Amino acid sequence: MSANLLSVIPLLVCDDSIMARKQVLRALPADWPVSVTEAGNGREAMDAIRRGLGQVVLLDLTMPEMDGYQVLSALRAEGLKAQVIVISGDIQEEAVRRVLELGALAFLNKPFDESELRQTLSQLGLLTELGHALPGNRRAANTVISFHDVFRETINVAIGRAAALIAKVLGVFVLLPVPNVNILEVGELHMALTDASSCKELTAVCQGFIGSGIAGEALLMFHDSEITDIAQLMQRQSSDYSDMEMLLDLSSVLIGACLSSIADQIDVVFSQGHPQILGQHASIDQLIQVNRKRWKKTLAVEISYSLEGHDIRFDLLLLFTEDSIERLTHKLAYLTN
Amino acid sequence: MNDSLDLNEFHWLLAIVQNIDVGVVVLDRDYCVQVWNTFMENRSGLQPKDAQNQNFLSLFPEIDPQWFSRKVESVATLGTPAFTIWEQRPYLVRFKNYQPITGQEEFMYQNTTLLPLRSTDGKIKHICLVIYDVTDVATNRHQLQAANAQLQQLSRTDRLTGLYNRGHWEESLKGAYARHQRHGNATSLVMLDIDNFKRINDTYGHQAGDKVIEEIARLIHEHVRETDMAGRYGGEEFGVVLSDTDKTNGWVFAERLRKAVEGLEVLHNGQSIRVTISLGVADLSQPSINYADLIAWADHALFASKKAGRNRVSVYE
Repeated sequence: MSANLLSVIPLLVCDDSIMARKQVLRALPADWPVSVTEAGNGREAMDAIRRGLGQVVLLDLTMPEMDGYQVLSALRAEGLKAQVIVISGDIQEEAVRRVLELGALAFLNKPFDESELRQTLSQLGLLTELGHALPGNRRAANTVISFHDVFRETINVAIGRAAALIAKVLGVFVLLPVPNVNILEVGELHMALTDASSCKELTAVCQGFIGSGIAGEALLMFHDSEITDIAQLMQRQSSDYSDMEMLLDLSSVLIGACLSSIADQIDVVFSQGHPQILGQHASIDQLIQVNRKRWKKTLAVEISYSLEGHDIRFDLLLLFTEDSIERLTHKLAYLTN
Repeated sequence: MNDSLDLNEFHWLLAIVQNIDVGVVVLDRDYCVQVWNTFMENRSGLQPKDAQNQNFLSLFPEIDPQWFSRKVESVATLGTPAFTIWEQRPYLVRFKNYQPITGQEEFMYQNTTLLPLRSTDGKIKHICLVIYDVTDVATNRHQLQAANAQLQQLSRTDRLTGLYNRGHWEESLKGAYARHQRHGNATSLVMLDIDNFKRINDTYGHQAGDKVIEEIARLIHEHVRETDMAGRYGGEEFGVVLSDTDKTNGWVFAERLRKAVEGLEVLHNGQSIRVTISLGVADLSQPSINYADLIAWADHALFASKKAGRNRVSVYE
């Protein structure tokens, strides 16, 4: 017993989502003798590693303050020896290539399961000294996780999946943001939409979705100045293929991938309506007037994708109806238990 | 599980897919038709046995093969659905309108969805194409657009003369004034009034008066350029905004119009009516506060023409 205690491995779990950290902790092999430290961003992770608390590091990529790439670079720059396994929703092939180049030993796609983690750890030879886990060192197990945190993590995985597809279609590297999740009062939403409509150089594609009592609309906004750049990336050859149709195709991929990933995670199936160009038939002002009485609050997710090396940005807005929030909360509760 | 029940359900489902009023086509990865429902059979005139295993693109040569394969390949490799909507692409396959009485469009407008179909091994080996007939929506939208365009036209024009009405004409003048302020291009205004119009009404009646107004409006219309804006300002008063024109050239235009009216003979109930007009010209070569200044100056010149004996052009200096 005492021999095992001496060979306890300092393990660091770094993710900005409490839920993601909890999922990692739950998936750790029960017979793996580790002492766990948690970090909520790259900066905290570096502090812990410098203090010797991260011999093995399970590292997320997309985080505020200091992201996973920066942690890997900093480790190399400071000559710190840590064995890093990246666990990320950013599943672009280029992301995998980059982190491996920066010295990470392995890459796990979110969401992952216990057996994948165990297999990865054992392939890396980290599971050789099996013993008994120390009781009480997995403290996140009882932490209360907010709806926001769970939902944001779900969205994180979804936008990673969508980014990987966009990267494939356009042949680019997509810079992933930390998504913004808010419950908006209708007034605030109106302000955001009015801003969008007053800016004439903006084209918005809108697509409705519904499934298992969860419904809403996805809104993808493009700046018109970027449309020629996008067309170039899409290598449009046929003149029969209009700008508008190209944007609709791009939106279908992005919105479709995002929604299907969310649907997979919460175990529902969404039907998607036909996309439409916003403001083409009814002005945004009119739409806002009509819906003013219907909704009080809406759950809004804002994601801003940008393409590395190009001056191109898309803003994706996922708006869930007020009625959906309760269903979503219920569905998401399964993920945390 | 009862096997015969399952088979029953399968038959129902098949019957539903066959009879539903949307087009359902399943293609394999070589674009060969695997499923062809009744909607497709009836609209295309192709029997399932003739469509089965045929290349979809060879059945419908109107589809751009490069565009279509790009679309299908994206669905198959990315696993996300793709869409076409009638506003961007009126139809995928050209089906002629089959309703000779109520059909108002030449062909069927379509929204389509391309769905990836996963096999039991999770691979996408088939694509389902769903075609929705949205001709009614398109027809309604087209009619609405036509009605709106007509309404807009009506709200802008003066019923009797077909020139711009006062409201829209003044808006146009405001626009021309703003363009002048920004770009400094010459802009002039001609205001004109029919001489002794009351006498025409009293002598020949109001219908004759209307006829005179109509004829003069027709002459104005014939004399202006595409970029000029002519409007009926009041009963027998008209205004013409001349773009890229200074008052010297404005005078040329006004004089030409004056002569044309002088030579005009309006016939009403076998009677010949001769009329003249008085005109005033002003431009924006001097400092102004707003567009109303220009109207006031041209009006001032018009008044000078009246005072000097009518049937003449005066320029505001």
